[in-house]
Amino acid sequence: MTIYSLYIFDRHCECVYYQDWHRTQPIRAPPAISNKPGVHRIPPPLQPNEAGAPTRESIFSETNRSSLLSNGTIDGGANRTNKLPKGLPFDEESKLVYGVILSLRNMVKKLSGREEAFTSYSTSSYKLHLFETPTNYKFVLLSDPSSDSLRFVLRQLYVGPFVECVVRNPLVKLDSRAEGIDNDQFRAAVDRHMKGLSMFSS
Amino acid sequence: MTIHGLWVISKAGGLVFSRSYSDTLPPQPVNTILTLAGILHGIHAITAKLTPAQIPGVPVGGLESFEAEGWGGKVFLTPTGTKFVLLHSLPQAGLDELLRRVYEIYSDAVMKNPFHTPEMPINSSLFESKLQTLIGGVNAA
Repeated sequence: MTIYSLYIFDRHCECVYYQDWHRTQPIRAPPAISNKPGVHRIPPPLQPNEAGAPTRESIFSETNRSSLLSNGTIDGGANRTNKLPKGLPFDEESKLVYGVILSLRNMVKKLSGREEAFTSYSTSSYKLHLFETPTNYKFVLLSDPSSDSLRFVLRQLYVGPFVECVVRNPLVKLDSRAEGIDNDQFRAAVDRHMKGLSMFSS
Repeated sequence: MTIHGLWVISKAGGLVFSRSYSDTLPPQPVNTILTLAGILHGIHAITAKLTPAQIPGVPVGGLESFEAEGWGGKVFLTPTGTKFVLLHSLPQAGLDELLRRVYEIYSDAVMKNPFHTPEMPINSSLFESKLQTLIGGVNAA
């Protein structure tokens, strides 16, 4: 039993919080232009200069010429692509997660013909749990596929850390489209809560 | 356990067969089911991309089942890309076995039928009657 990651979406369909635990498939920080502050703490990608790949160096410089002569290709480009971590950028992944839960929710509603909540889905490698609050916040938890329903955990997170450290925190700009709800207290409280669960350690 | 319905989705995402076997879920127009089947086909592809961690020895796959409050759906993907979707009541047991039986009936009554065009809607009374017997038996139990 393992917990992989937690997403919180607000009523504007935007991800306002992200945290992960036992994830092995990597996730990338989004490009700076679509990065929203206060959502996740994924380390930003290394700047090309820091990564050691010369970007704007003259083709006449010694290093470049030798590499050109030896391989016949421009080394810098190949190096850069190798250094990029694999996986989807965070912004794209969160959009996919939101899209999937929204489509499944609508499908469930249409099929049952009434306001019935979609609660979870599972694949061969993970299970996604959804808990929706009356204010349209969506709490999404990814766990391993064999776990039972974890909606109660999401509810506990909502009534506990979320109300305590986000709703009652005057420094958090709730409902702002520009930034997320991340703060140290909330992150620590969520982390503590998750690590206290019996299904957390695998 | 009650089986509410069965869909068969072709590898291109088109609905080729759908039947309702109970009246718990309201009947839907064919066009709605056609749309939903297409959506499910898309979701299946996306969910595989969202895998957070690969379990050793288990191939990464797409959506296998989903649950609402009183009912759920089970998706069975055949090696050739055809999907069988069972809508069922909760809690459920023995769905895998049932889906394999449905696949068997599909192979016998549809794929061995020389007049059947692959990827086209299934019009086979043999398929329907065999399914009716199988699922009627499950629902009566």
